[in-house]
Amino acid sequence: MNPRRIRLLMWKEVLQLLRDKMMLPLIFVMPVMQLVMFGYVVGADVTNLRTVIVDQDHTATSRAITEAFSSSGYFRIVDRLDSEGAIRPVMDAGDAAVAVLLPPGMERDLAGGEKVALEIVVDGSDSKTASVASGYAAQVVASFERERLTALGAMPDGPGIDARVRVLFNPALRSVNAMIPGLVTMVLMLSVSSIMSQAVVRERERGTLEQLFVTPIGRAEYVIGKVVPYVGIAIIQTLSVMMVGVFWFRVPFYGSVWVMTLGLLLFMLAGIGQGLIISMISHTRHQAQQTTMFILIPTMVLSGFIFPIESMPASIVPLTYLIPMRYILVIARSNAMKGAGFEALWPQFVAMAAFAVVMFGFGVSRFRKQLAD
Amino acid sequence: MALITRKHILKPPAPAAPGVAISVQSLTKRFGDFTAVGGVSFEVGTGEIFGFLGPNGSGKTTTIRMLCGTIAPSSGGARVLGLDVAAEAEAVRARIGYMSQKFSLFEDLTVDENLRFYGGVYGLDGSRFTARRAHILKMADLIGRENELTENLSVGWKQRLALGCATIHEPELVFLDEPTSGVDPLARKDFWELLYELAASGVTLFVTTHYMDEAANCSRLAFIYRGDIVAIGTPDELRSREMRDRIFEVEVADTEAVLAALENDADVREVYMSGALLHVNMGEADGAAALLDVALARAGAAGAHASRVEPSIEDVFVHLVTREQRERSVI
Ligand SMILES: Nc1ncnc2c1ncn2[C@@H]1O[C@H](COP(=O)(O)OP(=O)(O)O)[C@@H](O)[C@H]1O
Ligand SMILES: [Mg+2]
Repeated sequence: MNPRRIRLLMWKEVLQLLRDKMMLPLIFVMPVMQLVMFGYVVGADVTNLRTVIVDQDHTATSRAITEAFSSSGYFRIVDRLDSEGAIRPVMDAGDAAVAVLLPPGMERDLAGGEKVALEIVVDGSDSKTASVASGYAAQVVASFERERLTALGAMPDGPGIDARVRVLFNPALRSVNAMIPGLVTMVLMLSVSSIMSQAVVRERERGTLEQLFVTPIGRAEYVIGKVVPYVGIAIIQTLSVMMVGVFWFRVPFYGSVWVMTLGLLLFMLAGIGQGLIISMISHTRHQAQQTTMFILIPTMVLSGFIFPIESMPASIVPLTYLIPMRYILVIARSNAMKGAGFEALWPQFVAMAAFAVVMFGFGVSRFRKQLAD
Repeated sequence: MALITRKHILKPPAPAAPGVAISVQSLTKRFGDFTAVGGVSFEVGTGEIFGFLGPNGSGKTTTIRMLCGTIAPSSGGARVLGLDVAAEAEAVRARIGYMSQKFSLFEDLTVDENLRFYGGVYGLDGSRFTARRAHILKMADLIGRENELTENLSVGWKQRLALGCATIHEPELVFLDEPTSGVDPLARKDFWELLYELAASGVTLFVTTHYMDEAANCSRLAFIYRGDIVAIGTPDELRSREMRDRIFEVEVADTEAVLAALENDADVREVYMSGALLHVNMGEADGAAALLDVALARAGAAGAHASRVEPSIEDVFVHLVTREQRERSVI
């Protein structure tokens, strides 16, 4: 292992990448463009959402929350109901898209320092409206909560109002909030697996790979020099997609950076393994491209990236367990949207780690062996 | 006492026999059921320009790859510069250069970047790199074009730069796999001048080619056909030892028709195009000239001008290949 040779390999890889007119847009423009497009299709501005309030507390606090909703500009309060049971008929009839449920004893519990669960029910049949509505509702509650705590001079992360969004009719609503984590995983997969396999195959096609192996460059040095630049690119891509999501679309991130990073790293290892395997079974760049597409389609369809797994036919569901992206999607979404940590996500982490070890290990060992004969 | 005895039993690492750069024993490579190289043995002396000739697919590249240690032989072995290729591949690689069949430069890097890359990979630094870089730029006639992308160079320059990159670390032995394929005759001649310069400085060259005129430039030749070496020797040896047949050069108007007719003529051993002319091998028969005149008449080219010529390397090559084909098809 010679650090200078590894550095040279990485240097030439980056230079080649920067000069590739096809690769560069693919790497940096495509993911952000996809996100922006999707974000706008889903998140077109919606105002005056028809809203019903179910106030079971009848206190100053519950009235203040109602007021916060109606003055936000996004919600138009069309009715006040007495019970939770009354929500369904109103929504079925299409008279309201959002219901805000203020539980009894709310003000008292808050004053007593307890956590209060405020429920927001969203009509999920129109996923566009629903995703916007749930986003706005969460924002309204969060800013109300902030003001309340500031007024009290309380610690910002103490117990308080916790808004729970429940989506009627379409529980696995694909909102821009769910899209961002999904897109991050997809982009990661594409850059480490597809772009890297392309680069290896190109090197073999042009004969430079063979040339490299009559120099003192070792197999391990080559693999490291190849993999590291693409990991770097994947990190840049991930960050740019996340930035656009958080700062442009204001997608909240409730999760832990560590949980997210560990999950993405494991996924990335699996992706590198996949890329190496693709590069071994493909003789041309075209073949590598086709193999990638061949894998991409079941990945998109079966991982839950597009269609919720809950809505798949029972006979298909077992197949989804074979798709590594299935696990990282759960990890990324639950962590980003609900703040789920290792306690809740350990089965997914175990599965993800198993895929990472098997795919990366197999990819690297076969790759080194293939380079050897 | 015991210690000393043991020392005597232990063989010292076999030094390269003086003057032997490559020594190959029963080197074999099989891909599945197919034998690409079928147990070849030969030696290449230090300072030789060793030509490795054979039609496409005969196993030239495969042999070179095994000698460079990029693929492992199925059986047999080779010592390169006194080292066992299989066991000491890394030490071998530091001392050899290899110019593969495709010019393996990074096309999307500039001339200078290619040099920096290969220079760095071979561990050249500071003044040594500066000196080698200057030397190669001069040798490849690329001074002033250091920052051009390699893909924009024309073939002759690419080829010289590839040679420069393959020899940047001043190897003692250089393998060149069809270095001049696809290069125009003038550039080929220039390139061979460079090879002569390298050889003159004591570097051993192992060159594969299918250009017969280049074969005559080599100090020794081996013919490989379907994985077997069918003849080996200096160009003169090959001409005199392998070739007692009479070769005639024939000038006719309708070469294709005459070629087709002569191919089926019982008196004609071999016939093929050599440049714009036909070369006819009449075997060792004494009345060859007379037989050829009759054969030409049968082929509808009565009175065509035929003259006996000294067999060229190409004639030897065609003869050997045809002989092998005949023998193998009998089996
Ligand atoms: N990796 C491989 N797998 C299978 N067959 C191969 C491989 N490499 C070469 N061959 C076969 O071995 C034979 C010799 O090839 P090669 O050494 O490239 O010939 P040459 O360089 O003389 O044209 C060819 O028939 C070729 O198809
Ligand atoms: Mg070849």
